[in-house]
Amino acid sequence: MIKLDRRNFLKGAGAGSATCALATMLPGSLAALEKEPLKAVGKEVASICEMCSTRCPISARVVDGKNVFISGNKEAKSFGGKVCARGGAGHSLLYDPQRIVNPLKRVGERGEGKWAEISWDEAYEMMSTNLNRIKREHGPEAVAFSSKKGSLSGHFFHLAKAFGSPNTFTHGSLCPGAYVIAAKSMFGTKLKRDLGNSKYIINFGHNIYEGINMSETRGMMKAQSERGAKLVVFEPRFSVVADKADEWHAVRPGTDVAVALALCHVLITDKLYDQAFVERYVVGFDAFAAEVKAYTPEWAEGITDVKAKDIRRIAYELAAAAPHAVVDFGHRATFTTEEFDMRRAIFAANVLIGNIERKGGLYLGKKAKTYNKFAGETVAPKLAKPGVEGMPKPTAKRIDQMDKQYTMVWKNGGVYQSILAATLEAKPYQLRGWVMSRTNPMQTMTDRAKVLEALKKMEFVAVCDVYISETAAYADLILPESTYLERDEEIADKSGKNPAYYVRQRVVETIGNTKPSWQIFKEVGDALGLSKFYPWENMETLQLAQMNRDGKALRHIREKGYVSYGKPLMLREPSMVAKFIDTYANARTPDDDGTYASALKFKTPSGKIELSSAAVEAFAPGRGVIQYRDAPLKRADELYFIQGKVAVHTNGATHNVPILANLMADNAVWIHPVTAGRLGINHGDAIRLTSSVGSETSYAMVTPGIRQDTVFAYMGFGSKNKELIRASGKGLHCGNLLPDSTAPVVGMNLHTTGVKVEKV
Amino acid sequence: MNNIWGDMAQYDPVTWNWVIAVYLFMAGLSAGSVLIGIGMRWYSKDNKTESPILKAAAIVGPVAISLGLACLVFDLTKPFHFWLILINYNFQSVMAIGVLALLAYSPLGIAYGLIVLRDELPKWGLGFLSPIAEMLLGWRKVIEVLLFILAIGVGAYTGFLISAMNAYPMLNTAVLPALFLVSGLSAGAAANSVVALLMFKVDSHDKELSRMHALELPVMATEIMFLFMLFCALYFKGGAAAVALASLTSGVWAGVFWIGVVGIGFGIPLLSMLMPAATRHTKGAMLMVACSGLTGVLALRHFILYAGQSYIY
Amino acid sequence: MNKRYVMVHDENKCIGCQACNVACRSENGTPEGVTRLQVRVEGPFGDAPNLHFKYHRVSCQQCEDAPCVKVCPTGAAYVGEDGIVTIKEDKCVGCMYCVAACPYKVRFVNPETKATDKCNFCKDTRLARGELPACVTVCPTDALTFGDANEPDSEVAKLLNTKPSYQDKTHLGTKPRVYRIPTKRGGIES
Repeated sequence: MIKLDRRNFLKGAGAGSATCALATMLPGSLAALEKEPLKAVGKEVASICEMCSTRCPISARVVDGKNVFISGNKEAKSFGGKVCARGGAGHSLLYDPQRIVNPLKRVGERGEGKWAEISWDEAYEMMSTNLNRIKREHGPEAVAFSSKKGSLSGHFFHLAKAFGSPNTFTHGSLCPGAYVIAAKSMFGTKLKRDLGNSKYIINFGHNIYEGINMSETRGMMKAQSERGAKLVVFEPRFSVVADKADEWHAVRPGTDVAVALALCHVLITDKLYDQAFVERYVVGFDAFAAEVKAYTPEWAEGITDVKAKDIRRIAYELAAAAPHAVVDFGHRATFTTEEFDMRRAIFAANVLIGNIERKGGLYLGKKAKTYNKFAGETVAPKLAKPGVEGMPKPTAKRIDQMDKQYTMVWKNGGVYQSILAATLEAKPYQLRGWVMSRTNPMQTMTDRAKVLEALKKMEFVAVCDVYISETAAYADLILPESTYLERDEEIADKSGKNPAYYVRQRVVETIGNTKPSWQIFKEVGDALGLSKFYPWENMETLQLAQMNRDGKALRHIREKGYVSYGKPLMLREPSMVAKFIDTYANARTPDDDGTYASALKFKTPSGKIELSSAAVEAFAPGRGVIQYRDAPLKRADELYFIQGKVAVHTNGATHNVPILANLMADNAVWIHPVTAGRLGINHGDAIRLTSSVGSETSYAMVTPGIRQDTVFAYMGFGSKNKELIRASGKGLHCGNLLPDSTAPVVGMNLHTTGVKVEKV
Repeated sequence: MNNIWGDMAQYDPVTWNWVIAVYLFMAGLSAGSVLIGIGMRWYSKDNKTESPILKAAAIVGPVAISLGLACLVFDLTKPFHFWLILINYNFQSVMAIGVLALLAYSPLGIAYGLIVLRDELPKWGLGFLSPIAEMLLGWRKVIEVLLFILAIGVGAYTGFLISAMNAYPMLNTAVLPALFLVSGLSAGAAANSVVALLMFKVDSHDKELSRMHALELPVMATEIMFLFMLFCALYFKGGAAAVALASLTSGVWAGVFWIGVVGIGFGIPLLSMLMPAATRHTKGAMLMVACSGLTGVLALRHFILYAGQSYIY
Repeated sequence: MNKRYVMVHDENKCIGCQACNVACRSENGTPEGVTRLQVRVEGPFGDAPNLHFKYHRVSCQQCEDAPCVKVCPTGAAYVGEDGIVTIKEDKCVGCMYCVAACPYKVRFVNPETKATDKCNFCKDTRLARGELPACVTVCPTDALTFGDANEPDSEVAKLLNTKPSYQDKTHLGTKPRVYRIPTKRGGIES
């Protein structure tokens, strides 16, 4: 047995006396636990990382009983067997003395920071007493359930459904929601990017060299370094992706849509677009072309500060590289209130160069059902979705369901921030309870002051997390989840150009009194009297059910950790189709041109790509056709305030993890030398940023790598609750400066605003 | 770009601190004192009496080096493992050679001290050591010669030790060992004065004392010349080396240099020569000049060590 | 010594993400407060819009003519048969001569062992198991290549023979074995 006694571990965790004392005083934390040996489950376990939502396949090992060394799982080729800094620091989270390993209940005022350890039974009792009371007196819809998607969130939302509340939210409206909805409105489904094979990549601030998405980051770097791809980046800041680009254009914040539309204009007007593709697969082209006539590069230059001749030249270069070229539709879609049309304009540019299902372009994921059909045989086992019969149907409408324009948002994560109005103004009705899992709206939702008010007004707040995050600090009840290194989960679908499955498996035994969240929510369900909706006992049962009782296939996946089935397939790429039919004797017969072009269908009302959408026009009048709308983001006397991701942290989640906090503890503000000079600010000076909703202090980092009218700070810092000793009070809190906002049609928060900057 | 790679405190190029500066001072002081003591004895050709200067050197020599070695041991990160350095030798390392030299120099210094102070031993209650002193007396000439040679080594080796590091332009210079040896002589002479005046109640007009004082000006002039050479070398090398000249004009070490090394260390002794002979030769004035000299050499060691380590190629 | 292990850091591929930094710390149990490896993102240099960052790996250069080995009084710092500059902890007294002598300032005192420490290409951890050093193993963009430059078929030999590379402080004659492929933009003296 590998022994790790408390002294070694605390020494290893670098406990300076102050750190140690505070950590020890925090009830329910790992530091308060008696010494426990580290029990490893195996020598090298394949699992899935959860330090960010990329969820890379990992291979984790126990070394000398002290650290777990984490690298990538080599079975997953596109991930290359690699992990980033956050992935490698998983064990630092696992053994952080600050981790909460016992349920806690609030004993002071909400947010006062006074906690008492309680048993799980007591915790469940609290849940049932409070939630059932609210249900009895005000209906289950008075409780909102929010969780980051992925991992075990399915179990959380199952609980919400069993409870009867329609008010379920993911973090979609705080980050990626808009591009998903834009894709679904145009293609009926999400699309993926084939960056690795692209010869020409246009990128609108999608910084995958800092906001690392492993296979995409690797793919794009390979394309750039080995395959001669050209990268053009439009971003207000000189980020790492801007540095690696062949061209960087410092576009005015929030105006990327004008560039995208101008590119479409040139492609259409100068007849550079793939006419055959448009004729075959697209409806609504004429309406779009008519609209886009006015969006000349000269028009765009006035709005965006990108030179017209550059836009024109880039459009020509894009067309020349087509179809093995791509306009990256991004990830965080919160630059402007016009995100719906921005992302649609970007998708439109791709459609115009006909890169759908072509190498280096965009494609639809090939899950087992589709792939097997093309192959004419069962290449990949189908992943069953075990469901439960007789789930209750909520009678009330969702709080964001009153406005029809958000029709597409209701089934894509909801308008998360609508919780605020529902709580503070009872619009459309009063919310009284908020149950959260793996979400930190105090950091990730805009307008911190409002979120704080809402939390304070709630009658009951329960949070499931691994730390007392800035949000959990305002809970009545904290349910400590086991970290990802301690839990088994269902098999996940990681299909891309061909089917692939992988599974999260525990690397070490459970620490402290934590439980995996699937178990927590099942037991909460039991406590709420909802046991009949939880017919499974353990994770193995679920996994077997997913594999249709095929024990051999399940064992294979658990052994390898990641299994890829078949060869990559893109329907309109002749070489790939040729390889495909070579491999599968019973494969579907290709068309005359050697592709599966005729099989390319879209789940839209017309079955085709809807460049202009009648469906959207129906629920959001005036929005059917992509259009440019002015979206003022700041006052004339203010500077733009924008944020971004950094390679060593994940959004608002990792700032207390020891190894990562030691790499970067705060976020000095980027400010241009001319602007700084005008304000009398020198590098390293203390400065104050003031917006319409809040004020934050930080330090100035004077750099030419930012527009003169813009300031930038990395997001996720400045948590103000004392429980996060490594993160508390360090850096600037971005959410505190951003006003509450809900974009048309896509319901997104807005992360661009105006600030005044002054020396402190 | 924001610092996302962690703390850089460990990369501070200043590795050795004031404890080492004190050791360097003690080593130079011990060596210089011994060199002057023995040198003057040979020059005077007087084999009958133990001059007060020699007696002073016989104390300063071993005491200073012992204090210095104590500093060294306590500055180690593993002080209780210091014996490892006595049994493992890498002869490419100046420090290893220094260890050997000190291993010989220290006991020899104590032995010589016993010899020179054999008449004082009973007076100080150390009469039990007299037989040893008598026994060693037969070996006096050998010990004297060896000690003299080793003292040159000890006086210069600290300079070699530091100048062996090509990372630091200000230290990686041929002049450093010479500078350390000469400033050691200066410190040695000053210390010998102090001990002779205070402990052995020598008269301030003593002939030996005056002869030693006559050395002070040439030694100081040589020291100033070596410093000048050092800074010139930096200037002519250019690039990163010339940047090190900022140590003379900015920062705390510029103050240490101009006030400590030049003002006190050179200035006060030089100015004292303008005093009327009567004042100059009072005990008080001589002590003040000697202490200024010692301060100056201590300041020089600090300046060279800190400023020298602050600038890397 | 017939192996000549070298490390090549491609500054074009490096994105400064610190995956190497964390992996090194994890594999070698480096205590908090000190590090064997950092990648500093320096700059931006140049005039907008022609700016560029420099991705500067700071770790032991494994010099073929190592000043630290020359100055160590006890011989605790030595070059092993595999050519890797290593530290024998139980011979080190902590005199810090090697720390001062290193021109790259990559040696440090390990607060736990009290001996000096530095990157040793994962000699006793991963290399001993026949694996690549931790940093090379995890680098997301394959910016690091490691191997025996004496093997003509090795990746590092091919890389160094086909791409321009430079090294830090070669004027000091240390003959470092960490090679760097400069970024497409900006000169060596960025």
